[in-house]
Amino acid sequence: MWRAFKNYLQLVGAYARINLNAQLEYRGAFISEAVAMFINDGFWVAFWVMFFSRFPVVEGWSRNDVLMLWAVTAAGFGIAYAVMGNALHLAGVIVNGQLDLWLLHPREVLSHLLLGRTVATAWGDAAFGYLVYLIFVRPDLAHIVLFILMTLSTALVFVGFGVMSASLTFYIGNGTMLAEQWRFAMISFATYPEALFTGVVKTLLFTMIPAGFVSYVPVHALRELSLWYAAAAVLGAVVITAAGVAVFYIGLRRYESGNLISMNG
Amino acid sequence: MNRGVEIQHLKKNFVLTRWSGFRRKVSEIPAVDDITLSIPQGESVALIGPNGAGKSTTIKMLTGILHPTAGDVTVLGFVPWRERRKLAYHVGAVFGQRSQLWYHLPPGDTFELLARVYNIPRSEFVRTRDQLIDRFVLGPFLDVPVRKLSLGQRMRAEVAASLLHRPKILFLDEPTIGLDVIARQELRDLIREWNRERGVTVFLTSHDAGDIEHVAERVIVINCGRVVLDDRVNAVRRQYLGSKVLRVQFQEQPSDFSMPGLRIIQRSGYELKLEVDSTVTPVSAVIGAILRAAPIADIAVEDPPLEEVIARIYTSTSQTGGSS
Amino acid sequence: MNANAITKYTWISYTAIRSNLAYLGEVLSRTTFMAVILYTFMRLWTVVYSGTGTQRLGGLTLQQMIWYVMLTESMVLSSVRVSSEIDEDVRTGRIAVQLLRPLSFSMSRLAQVLGERTVRFIVNIFIGSVVATLLVGPISISFTSIAMLLLVLPLAFVLDFLGYFGIGLCAFWLESTTGFVLIYSRLTMLLGGMLLPMEVFPQGLQTIARWLPFAGIIYGPARVFVSPDEAMLMHIMATQAIGLVCFGATVWMVQRMAITRIQSNGG
Repeated sequence: MWRAFKNYLQLVGAYARINLNAQLEYRGAFISEAVAMFINDGFWVAFWVMFFSRFPVVEGWSRNDVLMLWAVTAAGFGIAYAVMGNALHLAGVIVNGQLDLWLLHPREVLSHLLLGRTVATAWGDAAFGYLVYLIFVRPDLAHIVLFILMTLSTALVFVGFGVMSASLTFYIGNGTMLAEQWRFAMISFATYPEALFTGVVKTLLFTMIPAGFVSYVPVHALRELSLWYAAAAVLGAVVITAAGVAVFYIGLRRYESGNLISMNG
Repeated sequence: MNRGVEIQHLKKNFVLTRWSGFRRKVSEIPAVDDITLSIPQGESVALIGPNGAGKSTTIKMLTGILHPTAGDVTVLGFVPWRERRKLAYHVGAVFGQRSQLWYHLPPGDTFELLARVYNIPRSEFVRTRDQLIDRFVLGPFLDVPVRKLSLGQRMRAEVAASLLHRPKILFLDEPTIGLDVIARQELRDLIREWNRERGVTVFLTSHDAGDIEHVAERVIVINCGRVVLDDRVNAVRRQYLGSKVLRVQFQEQPSDFSMPGLRIIQRSGYELKLEVDSTVTPVSAVIGAILRAAPIADIAVEDPPLEEVIARIYTSTSQTGGSS
Repeated sequence: MNANAITKYTWISYTAIRSNLAYLGEVLSRTTFMAVILYTFMRLWTVVYSGTGTQRLGGLTLQQMIWYVMLTESMVLSSVRVSSEIDEDVRTGRIAVQLLRPLSFSMSRLAQVLGERTVRFIVNIFIGSVVATLLVGPISISFTSIAMLLLVLPLAFVLDFLGYFGIGLCAFWLESTTGFVLIYSRLTMLLGGMLLPMEVFPQGLQTIARWLPFAGIIYGPARVFVSPDEAMLMHIMATQAIGLVCFGATVWMVQRMAITRIQSNGG
């Protein structure tokens, strides 16, 4: 069991290396895309800095709390799609028939194909998230370790979510637009104070649009240095990913029976 | 014991849903309609047939990508769709249209990745890789990004990549498409070498009669989901691949010439298109007669299109009631 | 009408809808965007308003605040980024021909952009109004508010155009203008009050931002519409005039430099 995991980590390493090499072939474009995302995220930080200079506390949330939401979300997003870029492009992989190529390899198809690509802008997000956390919150070692754990948990949420929304392609055809709206909503809600949302909406944010597990629960863990909240975050991430993986493999069964995309020959 | 490919009564139907107005019509399209084949380990097989005949579907079922509707298949003792990953360690594949090589990086980088994907022990990988680099002459461009390679170089690297993990079976789908004459011959030689000298079973689909003649020992023709012909290449060559098409552009009206085994397909102005049955009259003799008939501006010798050959096979075998 | 006819007409409209699916997709994404942003801002401001216990912040009620954001977002979303087209024209060399008659070139581009932009703006306003009404109820519209909006809208569009046009021209000197565009657009949003009206800015920043061209592009139209006020109108129009002079002069200079560069380098 451990050997299989170690073997997978080596695979992750090999893909990270080759993906980065492919990006660095066009160094300028890669860096500018990463920087662009940096600037984009930076706008929001500037906004919140401005906002909180005028209204120091909003329902118990201060500037640093909201910036922590941003840090975890951006870093998680960045790690997710830097390492498993195909989680963002899975719909295209399915529609373009590239799935066949991945099925020819002696590997578990999903965990393998997710590694096949990296998203340049994600690297900017990851760097941004970590920088914001380090600069604004000035954490001690314990918090840094917990932060790393939480960003990995959030990354898992993004991967699972990406897989789930893309797997709808097995059933309804190219659902990229729908998936993008869904993802946009999730990220938006994740970057506003949890306290703003109550009732039905709040329930929604822990289920259908799991912004809660993207940032709210991780930030609870960080604010209180609580291992309980940390565990809850990881548990949520695992459930979301499991759901996504299930939807994918059920869809794959349909794909393998060939009743989906028209075949040539 | 034959641990090659065993196919028994393989069937595959695709379910097609059509909408007319608000009504839904579901129909079943048979893509593979009862195929039974036995291919021993080490054989080199050409799988040919018109588009939509069922070739790709069959190959997808052999590699485990697709589940059949009915029938049994074992490849190297594995049931493909049930033991896909285990089988994958022993299968190599090259699809002409889809590349395994990372486009912006040198082929060497993809080789390193594949070593990791297939869990090839380091020393073994280095040995196989160097062997492939040597035989496929990849040395000169091993560090050149794939996007800068010529098609011939790219296909050589592509086939080499598919052999890194020492597969026992190699599937090649249109590997020589778009290649120039020299590159095509080089690739055919390499594939044949790996088949004859290293015992790799080769499955080749191609529309090029030359590929079939130079690489395969056995030809299987598939049409409408069924096996229409299954024979040694030599036999098929004698019966069906013996004709050539000549296109001649005369400079002036040629004098009449006719020979046995000649059939005029088309004639317009000074241009003539004719078919030669080389088993009756050698092509060289025909060319000689053409040159004597009038001075020429241009002449081309081609294989008849494979579709035509297949059609001929199909009509003749359906007339004789089965494969010859 | 018998059953067949009904089926037929339903089928026709169904087909018509399906053929416009791509366009519908755009509308859907616009709607989701508006809904998410306006909802979260409504919650944010509701909490802030009740927290500070006031009815008005910076002179605006909660309802006006949300309609303000709707309008600024509509403005930003309808922006036509000519910079990428101009950038490409510069790199392919097409611009050489176009700049032979600089004034008519800019004018014709402007006319094109204005047309496209107006349509997008109207669509955004429509969708945004529906969402805003559902969230905070309809805002009081008067002849004055509409008139004021229509007065400041044209120059707002023109200023926005000039900004991106000028950046596009910088392709003559920059390897890539995309970074520049990104920074510029985010600066516009931030200093132009896309999410926060200027009344809520920190004091020092407020004084500066009020006179920047961005105020005339984003803040201005939204502000005079949600809370019509003559003094504000005058101020906005003054800002726009200043902006027009500054942007106009800059673009004119950049164009001159570009023309000189073409003439000396041969295109």
